[in-house]
Amino acid sequence: MGEVPTVDPEISKDLLTLLSWADEVRTMGVRANADTPDSAVKARQLGAEGIGLCRTERMFNAVDRLPIVREMILAGSKEKRAEAIDKLLPMQKKDFKEIFRAMEGFPVTVRLLDPPLHEFLPSAEELASKLRNIKEVETVLSSAENISEAMKFLDPVFRESLKPLEQLAANISEIKENKLDRKLIRKQEETLRKVKKMMEVNPMLGHRGVRLGITYPEIYRMQIQSVLEAAAELVKEGLDIQPEIMVPQVCTAQELKWVYQLVKKIQKEVEKGYGIQLQFKFGTMIEVVRACMRAGRLAEVADFFSFGTNDLTQATFSFSREDAENKFLPLYNERKILQDNPFEVLDVKGVGRLMMITIEWGRKTKPDLKIGICGEHGGHPESVEFCHTIGLSYVSCSVPRLPIARLAAAHAKLKEKDKKPPEKYDPDTSFSIFF
Amino acid sequence: MKSPKYAYLFEEADGTNKKLLGGKGAGLAEMTHMGLPIPPGFIVTTEACLHYYENKKKLPKGFMEEVEVNLKTVEEKTGKKFGSSQNPLFFSVRSGAAISMPGMMDTILNLGLNDNTLEGLIKITSDGRFAYDAYRRFIQLSGKIALGVEEKEFDQILNKTKVRVGAKEDTDLDVDHLKDICKQYLILVKKRTGTLFPQDPMVQLKLAIEAVFKSWMGKRAVDYRKEFKITSEMANGTAVNVCTMVFGNMGFDSATGVAFTRDPGTGENILYGEYLVNAQGEDVVAGIRTPMPIQEMKKEMPKIYRELERVRKTLEEHFHEVQDFEFTVEKKTLYILQTRNGKMNAQAIVRTSKEMVAEKLITKEQAVLKLKPQELEQLLHNRIDPNFKAKPIAIGLPASPGAASGKAIFDADEAERVGKLGDKVILVREETKPEDIHGFFAARGILTSREKHLMRLWWREAWENPVSQGVKNSESIQKGERPSSEMFISRKEILSPSMAPEARSIWERFLP
Repeated sequence: MGEVPTVDPEISKDLLTLLSWADEVRTMGVRANADTPDSAVKARQLGAEGIGLCRTERMFNAVDRLPIVREMILAGSKEKRAEAIDKLLPMQKKDFKEIFRAMEGFPVTVRLLDPPLHEFLPSAEELASKLRNIKEVETVLSSAENISEAMKFLDPVFRESLKPLEQLAANISEIKENKLDRKLIRKQEETLRKVKKMMEVNPMLGHRGVRLGITYPEIYRMQIQSVLEAAAELVKEGLDIQPEIMVPQVCTAQELKWVYQLVKKIQKEVEKGYGIQLQFKFGTMIEVVRACMRAGRLAEVADFFSFGTNDLTQATFSFSREDAENKFLPLYNERKILQDNPFEVLDVKGVGRLMMITIEWGRKTKPDLKIGICGEHGGHPESVEFCHTIGLSYVSCSVPRLPIARLAAAHAKLKEKDKKPPEKYDPDTSFSIFF
Repeated sequence: MKSPKYAYLFEEADGTNKKLLGGKGAGLAEMTHMGLPIPPGFIVTTEACLHYYENKKKLPKGFMEEVEVNLKTVEEKTGKKFGSSQNPLFFSVRSGAAISMPGMMDTILNLGLNDNTLEGLIKITSDGRFAYDAYRRFIQLSGKIALGVEEKEFDQILNKTKVRVGAKEDTDLDVDHLKDICKQYLILVKKRTGTLFPQDPMVQLKLAIEAVFKSWMGKRAVDYRKEFKITSEMANGTAVNVCTMVFGNMGFDSATGVAFTRDPGTGENILYGEYLVNAQGEDVVAGIRTPMPIQEMKKEMPKIYRELERVRKTLEEHFHEVQDFEFTVEKKTLYILQTRNGKMNAQAIVRTSKEMVAEKLITKEQAVLKLKPQELEQLLHNRIDPNFKAKPIAIGLPASPGAASGKAIFDADEAERVGKLGDKVILVREETKPEDIHGFFAARGILTSREKHLMRLWWREAWENPVSQGVKNSESIQKGERPSSEMFISRKEILSPSMAPEARSIWERFLP
């Protein structure tokens, strides 16, 4: 459907004043989810106090990067993979430098690669159909080669009139020999084989996040190195840079420790190389139910937690979001089996309760543990209020929703007086008995 | 156990108890305490409504006796008598829940009219036409709301008479035509209900109160509460406001109108609103006559205008909020009939909040609380790219900000159906009517051809999506006259195969 193009809204002076009053009131931080220097700049203009989620996969998907990313994924040997990674490193470093610079003076949380690798590859169907096409061309060309042979049997007069066809046939064998690249076919076949091998039954529960980092350490190593080198170079310029490295999909403290050791090792190398001391934070996403249950141990390694409430909601309900929203959620809402869509309005009774347990246990280990939220819920007013009530340090939301989150955080603070403490969400049990 | 008090006079009710009295009732009580000119009356509580539903739709025991006691006091205050043919007292009976649900529940005006009191009304107004028109409206309204006679049957009678006598508008009908219509209306009611139209004013009052209670669970009201997530903790049952009728149509020293203490479109600190001289509230709603901007009153009724300015100040100083109020002038006397917190678009909320801090009416913290995060989303709506070059096919007045694209659908039911399939829908209607509300919810935008002030206000309250009203052919609107909202349509998308031929021919003329 044709649509009239639209532009972003303007923010009036009066609104800026009102928002500045909201900032004076609120006690919870507001950050942005931003993956590019442009959106980092915009986020700052809209009052973000840092980036709570910078997704590195967005950088991988850029047109100029994708072929290299694919090279990296499909590499047959360690050496080949290292080659591709070497090409990616300066690119990622440049991205991080630009984003850090735009957010100078504020923290920037970089999430290491999260999605399953096949998301960067063409789909198996796509590849198979391409291959079929090439093979069909090959068959057609083969049969066309026989045209000149066949024509010898024709009446010479008739043959005269078909001269152009004969000429064409003569060219075909040349085309077939020189233009049809057998190597290409073989390469496509190889890619298809690999893509098929990487296919997963449940990709969202499969080979992704920290699992990927541990099986392909070169990728996480490259990303960590990019972050730390970018920071080092800017610190040398005299800028105040506050990088935060965040590990996705963690479910055990051992995973986090493994990445932590890798980070420490790279830190030493970078510090030695640049001759400076690096200041940064290391933390984990909380988006797996087991991570909530192990919050106390995770906090021994992590400086901060960040709730990924989209995945945590999927995990808590055992719903896949797309299937739920397309198939049964509307009916559930209509029949009041569920009051709201939990992917839009944070489910305080289930997911929220997990969050409260996580906060309690995490801060028992580390009282000054910074805890934020970087799911879509971070920009939803009711969810922001809940986040304030349970004591989150900050919410991180999409850039356009920043003003809403700032205002909602102020409202939450102002309404605090009329509200009972968080026990209100838990009338039947005290959480401490689980500890 | 002593049964609770179910009815309170305006002057004895606690104006802060919206839960018990509903928003409208609380406002009337509060304004009475403030010394503003409020016609005497009383409030039937939401508890009475709940009792009604909890007891198989029966009014509490002794309830009508309690109503009668209050009525007596009102009679004493006004010096008029309910049911009297000499000096009759009439009531407006309006709904009012704790949360405002504009247009979703029922209201009955001119209650107390019967063959007897009609004579009295003619005597005091010396205007037979007005009296019969009021009677006609009363029979129609109570017939529809309290007695369940279909509105279109009344309309048929009205329209047939208009055709017969060659009247274009209702206002072209004279006293004899209206007398005849009243007669036919009464016959219709007898035919449909099997009994005579109730002549006893007390019976009328009882039926009206019950009708308002019933409308609380009417489809419109239930849909509205569902859509706006109004839970029973927020508003449980409706109150009924029984208020002495004042007439804005008693001549050229009478008027009726609606006003905001500030401009709800821009937030500017001026008295804003519109009024009609010699008219009743429903004349404004029906859109038969075009109301005048309230600033005109400075010339036409300077004394009343000055009074309204005072009312504006008093209201804001008391409520610390922009107020949206209704008033009537009956023979040079101003009455305030209702006030509530003014619903404004987000831009106006921002401006008024900021300015009210500067005027020391509210604190910074109160200012922050005035703008709801959800309302802020309105301001964050996208606009049409200013670099987009195309000739709009029509230009109208924006009732709310934003830009929307979608299939133009000309029927609310169809809009709901198509919207549910996941298609983007722009609902195109002649005007916004509460009956179409299910279609509004399904639409990404709404476009109407008629501008209606009251509905526009209602709209602001109810709706966030882009709305454009009063759309006319682009050539007929002078450029730069008023802020406009524009409509762009691609020929292919608007002409759906299911479109009615009339609609198709209209649009074909419009399209480039």
